[in-house]
Amino acid sequence: MGEAKTVFISGGSRGIGAAIAVNLAEAGYDIWLNYRSSAAQAEAIRERVEELGRTCILLPFDVSDEKAAVDALSPLLEKQVPFGVVHNAGIARDTLLPMMKREEWDQVIDVHLNSFFILGKLFSKYMVVKREGRIITLASLSGETGQVGQVNYSAAKAGLIGASKALARELARRNVLVNVVSPGLIETEMIGKLPLDRILPLIPLGRVGKVEEVAGVVRFLLSDDASYITGQVLSVNGGMYM
Amino acid sequence: MEQTKKKIKEILINDLKIPGITPEEIADEAPLFGEGLGLDSLDAVELVVLVQKHFDVQIADMDEGQKAFESVNALAVFILERRQ
Repeated sequence: MGEAKTVFISGGSRGIGAAIAVNLAEAGYDIWLNYRSSAAQAEAIRERVEELGRTCILLPFDVSDEKAAVDALSPLLEKQVPFGVVHNAGIARDTLLPMMKREEWDQVIDVHLNSFFILGKLFSKYMVVKREGRIITLASLSGETGQVGQVNYSAAKAGLIGASKALARELARRNVLVNVVSPGLIETEMIGKLPLDRILPLIPLGRVGKVEEVAGVVRFLLSDDASYITGQVLSVNGGMYM
Repeated sequence: MEQTKKKIKEILINDLKIPGITPEEIADEAPLFGEGLGLDSLDAVELVVLVQKHFDVQIADMDEGQKAFESVNALAVFILERRQ
């Protein structure tokens, strides 16, 4: 491996994003780690990455705030264009649609989907000039099948799948590959309140997934082995949806 | 003006890698896209980034780009107007 490649990860302080950061550092990537509010956790991830001999730049900003994103990233992008972008940041505001507040809809769409416009636009411009790169979007089983209590989340994640496929078509001629990783139930804070005893029988593998099992797929999609894959949705769900 | 046009032509050849042509062979009025120099929509995206990098001039969207990318001449005028 020549010069270390750099990967930007949004929402990288906790859960799947944090696991991706550590996994990629193990694979030899330098990390740009975005987070919004979990400064202590982000700092801990930076230490992990640096212990692995890689660099880690912390980028605290709200991904749905275009000005904040541009202000944080533009100076860096002028000097260096990351090889990979992992669009991971997400929130859930679960409730049945008849009871959903407008802000619960808007926040979820903002953090997942409007941020894709903001970050995707910013990074892809520079990646096109560099004529190489990988963009990996974290979607969700909910975006593929729809899920009760998650009309907002399902819409955002389904939107990300469509947006990623369209972007894959747009950027393919410049060797920028765009793919989606779609996790099912993964052991994070996000599934804390779910009735697992009722859900586990629906998962052919009979268990929830580990964050490392999602991170490994992201790592694969960034690797040379994935050089002929674009516009695809790789589901990591234990067979829950086929 | 002449210097700006020369620089634009160098960017087109060196950065956008238009094959089989030298800067001197690009006419000032030749359309950059389609039948002229044959650039495509992704070249336009690249040109936006390159113009910002080399001239520190922002082309915000394709409404602005459409006019600026008509020809080398039009782009030079656009850049010089913005830099004033």
